[in-house]
Parts: sequence; structure tokens; C-alpha cells
Amino acid sequence: MTVVNTELEKELAHISNEQEKSHIRALWKNADPLMQEISACLIQGRNKEVDELTLKALENGFEANTILDEGLVAGMAIVGIKFRDNIIFVPEVLVAARAMKAGMFHIEPILSASGIEPIGKVIMGTVKGDLHDIGKNLCNMMLRGAGFNVIDLGVDTSPEEFIAAVEENNANILGMSALLTTTMPNMGKTIEAFEDLELRNSIKIMVGGAPLSQEFADEMGADGYGKDAISCVDLAKHFASSI
Amino acid sequence: MEKLNSKQRVMNAIKGLPVDRVPAVNPTNIATVELMDLVNAPFPKACQDPELAARLAATGYTELGFDSISPYFSIIQESSALGCEMQWEEKDNWPTVRMNNPIWKSAEDVKLPKNFLNHRDIKTITESIKILKQEFGNDVAIIGKTMGPWTLAYHVFGVERFLIGTIDNPDETTKALKKLKDISVVFGEAQIEAGADILTFPDHATGDLVSSDYYSKFLQEIHNDMVDLLPVPLILHICGKTLDRLPLIADTGMAAFHFDSKNTPSEAAALAKNKIMLVGNINNPDTLYAKGPEEVRAEVFECMDAGIQMIGPECAVPLATKLDNLIEIPRAIADWTKKMSSNTL
Repeated sequence: MTVVNTELEKELAHISNEQEKSHIRALWKNADPLMQEISACLIQGRNKEVDELTLKALENGFEANTILDEGLVAGMAIVGIKFRDNIIFVPEVLVAARAMKAGMFHIEPILSASGIEPIGKVIMGTVKGDLHDIGKNLCNMMLRGAGFNVIDLGVDTSPEEFIAAVEENNANILGMSALLTTTMPNMGKTIEAFEDLELRNSIKIMVGGAPLSQEFADEMGADGYGKDAISCVDLAKHFASSI
Repeated sequence: MEKLNSKQRVMNAIKGLPVDRVPAVNPTNIATVELMDLVNAPFPKACQDPELAARLAATGYTELGFDSISPYFSIIQESSALGCEMQWEEKDNWPTVRMNNPIWKSAEDVKLPKNFLNHRDIKTITESIKILKQEFGNDVAIIGKTMGPWTLAYHVFGVERFLIGTIDNPDETTKALKKLKDISVVFGEAQIEAGADILTFPDHATGDLVSSDYYSKFLQEIHNDMVDLLPVPLILHICGKTLDRLPLIADTGMAAFHFDSKNTPSEAAALAKNKIMLVGNINNPDTLYAKGPEEVRAEVFECMDAGIQMIGPECAVPLATKLDNLIEIPRAIADWTKKMSSNTL
């Protein structure tokens, strides 16, 4: 089966990189039209439709994993590319995220109960003194969609809280976010705190946020810098496979 | 041309008139922990007490050699007065609004409190401007600041809810912005009355968050109105990527645009076409915070070469910025000017 949903076909037209387009198209290679419809509605931020279609799919006997991969995550892949390429902006991503959440509401309990092991455990938080969380929340959602178990510490997170969460959850990936130039250095302070306790080697640390750069991340001693939610997921996957 | 004092230099530059050299300005702020310690005016008290605000702001001129003084250090004074929940922090961090607990839900809720202009955090700004005006009024440009409706909306409605609302109910968004604009005007007028020569008008409809279509749909008209309503030169400040909306901004009638280092000076200058003066755009996190005077100088020269009319940090500087790096801005401007005039001779 190929892409039969006309709205989805229109969305694919936004992807200019042919290799990327083939990769995304392949996500629906074996997908039922209902999954494609879920993806199309999610991309357009139609949360009520995603809610109804997800329920319908479950009632029709689709596996929760299939709905997640071929409906929700596949749709978010296009959202991510459109965001990266400045075709859409944060409001459009937020309504798509809301739609994803509407679908996840029905399938997350099923996935949790199924006992499938997550591909990694990620501790996420905005650093001390910073109350901004939109970017971090988008990353959380994309990470969960990609199969990670995400423990979100929220905003204004101290180094001690990061360390406690990593130890308590036995996590091996940590993500820190900051939007303010005053709070960015707290990423470095958190990394130092891990070093002081000789915990640095047991954790991969990724950082992100609007004012950050690869250069800054390197200076702080982070293992990776994600400029957006897609890069965050790519980094986490890379870390998970190398641990 | 004859030597101008700092105030004359800034006022000429913002109006596109000739200057003896390009001014070093701080439309947002250049407060640092080192300066707070120097004059014993630490955050958050310096955001709550006019004497301390004036004392800290003055260091931009007295210690760093900038041509302007700006006593509004953060972006939260109005929001605090409107009743937003605050996190005042310590001297090493800016105070912030707890946007996860917004105070309003819809345009209907937007109301200016009766005692707004008498609120401690509003009077901190207006009274500090009066102090600065008395002490430096003839010599240095005093730059006030009134937040635009888009930024106020983030604070009072919460960023996520506000941005989702722009899609769910754009008419409601427009209504809310128009009502919030009145708050920007009231605070701006109070600062002009107190003696502000110029007002910075931050309104963060940045390319990192929203499209340029959003700017034309929701803000351009409001920004145009602000120019008519506030009778001093206005500096619009938007962080992040803004080149796509710069031509729209240039059409608002704003005197100047304070732009971020995510936009190259030469591209910004080409788009502004002298319809709007440009202020910027020395990088904060990578250069002013993390590098040294040599790198600061290189960025100042890049701005000067591109014809940027006023030079300063791209936004409020990281509070741990080294003073040597900030002092390098006016120093590099002077050296560039000297070099150019000797080339001409």
C-alpha cells in the first residue's frame, strides 16, 4: 500500500529533499488508510479528529504500536520537517502536539501495560532559574513517540534535582533546556555537579534552547546539542545505541 | 563634523541625522553582576527601587562609556504590576514571570489596574528616569522601555495558551492584543512624562516562534499605531530571526529596530534600506559572555562596515558578562571611526 490520503500527499509535497521524502513516504508503505488519515489530521492540528480516529482504530483492532508508529509518529515526522524548514512555526507545532496528545491519551495506557521495554530512559528539565518549557515539552513528546521513557522534571531544575532523578531512575540520558542567556551557564554548573560526584561517565548529556549553539554546548562539556526536537530525538537515539 | 555629546549622538543617529561617530547604545540593558557589586545595586532590588535602578543604569555611561542609559533591566515590570506571579531570583539571574500560572484567560479579562502607575515596579522605572534625567539629562540619552502587547500576552495568558489561541481563535487574539496595547501606551506615556528621550518597545514576535505572516496579521497595524501614540522615537526590539519581517517592520514608522545576532548586519541593512535605523547586534552568549575583547571588536567592525547606525549587544547581556567585553564596544567604535577618517584624509 502507498500513500492514498490526498491531504497527506499534499503534505509530502512540502518536503524538498527527495531522500527525506522517500524515507517519510516509506513510513506509510504498509499503512492502512485510517493510519494515514490520523497522520493527516495530526499534521493539521485537528485534535478532535485524531482523538476520534484513534479510538476508532483501536475498536477496529489495530495494535496500539501500529497507531503510534504509522499514524501519530509518522505525522509528527512531517511536522518536524516543516518546522525545521520554516514552513510552519511554533503555534502550528503546538496544535499538532495537542493532536498527538489526544491520540496518545488512548494508546499510552495500552503501551505501558504491554510491558514493552523503552529504547532508553531520558531525564528532561529546564535548568535552574528558567521557567520556559515549550521547546522542552515538544522534545518530550517527540522522545516519547520515538519509544523513550521520559521523566520530565519541569522547569527551574537544580543540579541536585537532575542528579537525584538520574540516580533514582537509573537513567542514562539527560536533556537540559534553557531560553535565557543568564540561565544557560547553569547547564555547565549541572554538568560540573555530575563530574564532582564522579557520575559524569555514566550519563550522556544533551542540551538545547533558542540562544544555544554547538559551540556553547561544547564549552559547557555537553555530549550533544539539539537545535530542535528532531535533533533531540536523533541525539537520544544515537546515545541509546552507543550505551 | 564637530564633536557631539552622547545624547546628541544618539538622538541624531536615531533620526538618521549626521553623527561624529556611531553611538554605543543599550536599548535593552547592560547590567551585570560586576556592575551591581560596583555600585551596590543588586538584582532583584535594582528592579524594585528607583534609586538603585538609576544607580545601576548610570554605570552604562559612567563605567562602560555607552551613549545611553536604560533603567528598565528586565521585561517583567508591567506584568508584575498587572498581578502576574513572579520569580524574583537573585542577583545572578533576571526576574521572570511564572507563565505556567497565567492570570488571564481571554481578552475580556484584560484590564488595567487602577493603581497601575503607582505600583512599586512601575514607579521604579518612572522615578528612576526622573533621577537620571536630572543627573544626566543634558548629556546622555535616557532610554525607557514599554513592553508590547505580544510580549505582555505571553506573560498574562501563558506562552503556549496564547500561541495556540492564535490558531483556535485569531479574532480573540486580535481583541486581546488591542486591549493590551493600551497598557503599553499608558506605561510609555508615563516614562515620556518622566523624561525618557526614547522608548524601547520589545514585542517578541520572533521568527523562532511565529511566521512573518503573523507579524503582518496581528502586529504591524498595532506597531504603526504606537508610533502615532507615543511622541518619542521608538526602538522596536525582537529577539531571534527577523530578516523575513524586517521589511514589514520598516514600514511601521518605528524609528529603529534592535536586532539579534541570528541576522547578519549586512543583510539587515540591505532590507532596512534606511527606512528604519538599525541597532545591534553583538552576540551575547557566544561572544560577549564567552569570548574576549578581540572577538567583540571584530563583531563591532562587522556592524560598522555594514552601516549599522547604532551599536550595542543584541539583547540584555548575560549578567556574568565581563566588563572588558562591554567596554570594548565603544572603544572599537571609536577606533573604527578614527581609522576611517584617517583613510579619508
